[in-house]
Amino acid sequence: MAAVSELLAQVPPQLALAAGIVVIGLVLGYLVNRVNRRLLTRAGVPEAVEGTAFERTVRSIGSSTVAIIAELSMWFIVAIAVLAALSVANIAYLERFLAAVAGLLPRLFVAAIVLIVGVVVADKVALMVSEGLKGVKVPQVGILPTAARYTVIYVAVLIALAQVGVVTSALLVLLSAYVIAIIVFGSLAFRDLLASGAAGLYLLLSQPYGIGDEVAIGDDRGIVQEVTVFVTRIDTDGAELVVPNRQVFQHGVVRFRSD
Amino acid sequence: MDELEAAVVKLLADVDAVALFSPSASEYERFTDDDGVEVLVVGRENTVDSPAFVELPLEFADVRDRIRYGLEGAMEANLVDEGDTLACLLSVFSSDIDAVFRVRVGESVHVGIYGLFMNSRAEPNVIRDVLELVIELGRKGQKGEPVGALFVVGDAGKVMNKSRPLSYNPFEKSHVNVGDSIVNVMLKEFSRLDGAFVISDSGKIVSAYRYLEPSAEGIDIPKGLGTRHMAAAAISRDTNAVAIVLSESDGLVRAFKGGELLLELDPEAY
Repeated sequence: MAAVSELLAQVPPQLALAAGIVVIGLVLGYLVNRVNRRLLTRAGVPEAVEGTAFERTVRSIGSSTVAIIAELSMWFIVAIAVLAALSVANIAYLERFLAAVAGLLPRLFVAAIVLIVGVVVADKVALMVSEGLKGVKVPQVGILPTAARYTVIYVAVLIALAQVGVVTSALLVLLSAYVIAIIVFGSLAFRDLLASGAAGLYLLLSQPYGIGDEVAIGDDRGIVQEVTVFVTRIDTDGAELVVPNRQVFQHGVVRFRSD
Repeated sequence: MDELEAAVVKLLADVDAVALFSPSASEYERFTDDDGVEVLVVGRENTVDSPAFVELPLEFADVRDRIRYGLEGAMEANLVDEGDTLACLLSVFSSDIDAVFRVRVGESVHVGIYGLFMNSRAEPNVIRDVLELVIELGRKGQKGEPVGALFVVGDAGKVMNKSRPLSYNPFEKSHVNVGDSIVNVMLKEFSRLDGAFVISDSGKIVSAYRYLEPSAEGIDIPKGLGTRHMAAAAISRDTNAVAIVLSESDGLVRAFKGGELLLELDPEAY
């Protein structure tokens, strides 16, 4: 007994303090792990990520997205505690190295979280896009969900790399070129549709003509059958004209009185 | 028992195809494993992924309507030919298949129920929505009292020009569709209004309170039906619309197209 207490007395106080800090860090980390798990489950994260490829992958290794995020936060706290303990223990030659690691640690943590969230969101976006395109039975549209997924992952990787301090300007240029291409091509392809949609909103809100009215839009004259956001359907003798709403603003409308 | 067996054998002699109505997966599999007989599935949903499938817009309570719709749909899709003999397997009383009908595809089954839904100007789901609405209205009535109603679906432009307003149109400048969930309640309240509801091809409620003015010359509907049915039959002949009527006196739902009475349903059966 006396030998043990003698041994304890010989331990320098810094070392005891360091050990205490590590223990506290472990306990705190474990608590944060539990609380995070609860909070994420309560926030409905398991339902939100259900069915995504990331969730399926981690499930196959016997884990879940929530567990991984919660554990990540735990190891983050433990790592900080260990660093603090080492600096308290005052091991001089580690000083400089430790300072660098301590600076990098939070960023690494954020980068990991961003990557996980990015992958999950990418899967979710791909699912949503393919769900929306379900009615279109053309094999070529299969590329759209994939494109959407990799776009989101690319952005997530970019943010994560920037967090850890890797130079990302080249990747950023690539991203902006990609985004600009999408905007340019999109506005080219959807120009008429957008113009018709804007005109259609006006038509639906103020209803200058309604179903049953006889109108002429440009050279197309007949009875209005249907007004939708994009087109107006007009019946003439034996033919149904589908007129883009854009034309209403280009040519104006003539409404004939029924009496 | 010999007589009974002989009757069943006669019932199933040289059938060209089997029509399964809403089969379970195991029932369907048993029939497809049996080679040499063509299988056709009819139901609300193609749960068994059958390549030959006819979708029912609603589960017709009248077995004759159900078979007619299924066979007309099969004819339209060239799954069966005129003159083919089919064995139709249905569940009438229980949820399992408990009835067999031997039906020859021909004029007797072809009355146009399928065309009423699929080949009308209005979209099929709009016609189905209106029918469901009218059935609901017929079953519940207006505060327990039986009500009558007339819905003219499709070709709204022409219908509006063949009718005039009885009062201010409550649906003026509104964007209400028959598929919306609020509509059930709303139309129940509005159904005490006189006149017809006009609904566009895509299901927008264009107007209520319409007095229809088609020419009723040469319209032939069963005697005893009133002015509401006469107006419905006439407007469906004068325009490309489908007219759906809820009778105030006998509570039945009837659908007219091209001036003909094509479908008669009892709301109580749904």
